[in-house]
Amino acid sequence: MATTTATVSISSGDLNPGSTLSINASSTLMKTGLTTGMELMEMGNHTLAVDTEKALSLALGEVNGSHFVYICNTTTDDTRYIEWGLHETMIGNLGAGEWMFIPWNNAVTSDSEVELEAKIGAATFEYAIFKSAWTLPAAGGA
Amino acid sequence: MATINASISISSDIMSYPARINKTMTMKKLASCHGLEETTGLRTKKFGLVTTAAVIAEAGELTSGQAHKMYIRNTSSSKAGYFFVAYNASAAGATTTEIIGKLHGGDWMLFPYNGATNITVASDGAEEQTLEYMVFADGIVAAEG
Repeated sequence: MATTTATVSISSGDLNPGSTLSINASSTLMKTGLTTGMELMEMGNHTLAVDTEKALSLALGEVNGSHFVYICNTTTDDTRYIEWGLHETMIGNLGAGEWMFIPWNNAVTSDSEVELEAKIGAATFEYAIFKSAWTLPAAGGA
Repeated sequence: MATINASISISSDIMSYPARINKTMTMKKLASCHGLEETTGLRTKKFGLVTTAAVIAEAGELTSGQAHKMYIRNTSSSKAGYFFVAYNASAAGATTTEIIGKLHGGDWMLFPYNGATNITVASDGAEEQTLEYMVFADGIVAAEG
């Protein structure tokens, strides 16, 4: 069984006057059913032209499963950012140099991609998807 | 200007060679080099076995269309229980289209949030669970008197 561990640390010495913020958390990512570690992953990077979209799809993945997505906007121009969303609703703006990490359960069978759209200018991002299960396309005729 | 740093480290032996992701970011305002300097505070909330959707980040509380960051963690030690995390109005069931994902015990998430929709959670599991969450804000709307 593979083991995948995700750790986060958040710190600030001046957000709250008089107290230092220090959050540390670590989790072992488990497949749906919770007895086995993740066994599938996909990594890549992509450049988006301004106002164009890219969808990270789990179309052949397990619906209502336990999947995780990491995305980092590797653009260095602070004025450029990437909008992200699900089901045609934009949820947030990922700035240059910023990353995100979310669980993704692929709630419905269609239109459940994580959508990314570059704003202000072209943007490059890297991503990793940790999957519970994945079905390869069936072989066609011909 | 405050400085808030967040780092992620992912290690995996899924592939035949070790996969490592290590990134550190400074949380910034939208399309800016200036760091975030506001927060709604670090909060913890205990939930019952199965609950209906509850709002943990309210759209009207934050300036809409900005680059807020939201951290959420299920602090429970058992993987058996989980929280549905969703945007907009509902997080009550697996088939709700607004579901982002499920946070099992120990799982965490950190994502940019534009403040235009609510972020909601619903508990589901065999035991009480505690949620830890915090919004790093790119603008907080002052409550009306």
